[in-house]
Amino acid sequence: MYRIRLEEFEGPLDLLLYFIKRDELDVFDIPIAQIADEYLEYVRVLEEVDLDSVGDFLYMAALLINIKARMLLPKQEVDEEGEPIDPRRELVERLLEYIRYKEASSFLVDLEQRRSERFTRGHASAEARKWESEAEISYDATVFDLISSLKRVLTEAPEEPSHSVVREEYTIEEQQEFILELLARERKVSFAVTMKGRSRAFIVTTFLSILELARQQRLRIALKKNDPSDFLLEYRKPPEDENDAEARSPLTNQS
Amino acid sequence: MASIHELLERGLQRVAEALVFAADTPVKPTEISEVYSEVTGEDRPTDSQVEEAVARLNIAYEETERSFRIEPWADGYRMATVSSVAPFLKCYFNREREQRLSRSLMETLAIIAYRQPVTKPEVDFVRGVDSGYAVNKLLEKGMIDVVGRSETLGRPLLYGTTEFFLEQFGLKGLKDLPDLREIEEILNDPAFNKERAQLLQLQQEEGFGDFTAGGAADDAQST
Repeated sequence: MYRIRLEEFEGPLDLLLYFIKRDELDVFDIPIAQIADEYLEYVRVLEEVDLDSVGDFLYMAALLINIKARMLLPKQEVDEEGEPIDPRRELVERLLEYIRYKEASSFLVDLEQRRSERFTRGHASAEARKWESEAEISYDATVFDLISSLKRVLTEAPEEPSHSVVREEYTIEEQQEFILELLARERKVSFAVTMKGRSRAFIVTTFLSILELARQQRLRIALKKNDPSDFLLEYRKPPEDENDAEARSPLTNQS
Repeated sequence: MASIHELLERGLQRVAEALVFAADTPVKPTEISEVYSEVTGEDRPTDSQVEEAVARLNIAYEETERSFRIEPWADGYRMATVSSVAPFLKCYFNREREQRLSRSLMETLAIIAYRQPVTKPEVDFVRGVDSGYAVNKLLEKGMIDVVGRSETLGRPLLYGTTEFFLEQFGLKGLKDLPDLREIEEILNDPAFNKERAQLLQLQQEEGFGDFTAGGAADDAQST
């Protein structure tokens, strides 16, 4: 599993805090309308790169819009004691609570830092074990790191892998044409003979097109007796097109 | 000649030192006293006697400028080198000990440490993001563990920190976690501008308990 983080905004609350700090906004008087718009803009970018976490951001975006709408209402909401309720209150409380734990998290970073100066017995082996499973999380990558490493891998990748594949683009439609033309000429052909020396892609696509033609009743498939490795394709007169059939080349027998 | 009491005391010191020296994990005071009484046949020393023995050892280390001390981590005793020799050990182990936990893991761990026992939905709510990945990583690392089930709807699992967490962060117990700052205190921090702090004080003076009271008047100005 991977996560992409854009700059320092890990979660929706981080993003809000970023706006608040950047614009030196009053936590108690957040200009919701402005923030909501900016927020949505960011979510649009996020949708492009990290669909996984966009849900969390959408929830917050919806909350912001909800608050924005409630603030536009002419009639003020009041609590059971008749005191006016600021629609932003819950959001502010959440933000402040989050700030507390962000701080707590920095306490832990300090503790960890201090502890890292102290070495204990059994340190080396325990460390090594931990580091084996560590690689994934200790690397804080941004989306740009990921993209550039992808780019590098792609450019470094050998042009021709060991199983050099020249991509043969066959479509079922093309192969239907091919088979129909062949049958119009030959009337009756062996699948194995027709496919001899062809690529796998060609064979597979042709096979699929034959099934499709059979479904459309535009050819007959005859299984050879005593030989399950091959089958015969026979020309079938298109039911609605008599003239066309007569115009075709005379029947040539296959050996 | 040393009194019998002194001899016993020194015996306890030696046992404590030997056990803490040889152990890979913190040694609990009760483990030390149990071992001591089982082998010597003496009465079990109390935890505070063990504590005193360890304190004497540390004084001795200090006086003789030893490069290690016995630390009371995770409710046990652990021998650890002093910070001043850290550069040599880092060199010997051939790397800097980098910050181990990513930011999201640290944040999740902080919430669990301070609010435990806590359910994942509560952690998600505080962080505003799904913390499933972080919680699983912390479980994997042994920093947290399932400590029960909440009685609320769906009986979600409750998480708490482990002794390993305490040891890794050099804490004797959860009481030793730095206090969470109160919101007022945080707002007084220079990181938040003065106006906000003033606003808060103003509201308190006016007797508003809620920090969002008076929002209606402010709305008009801000929009």
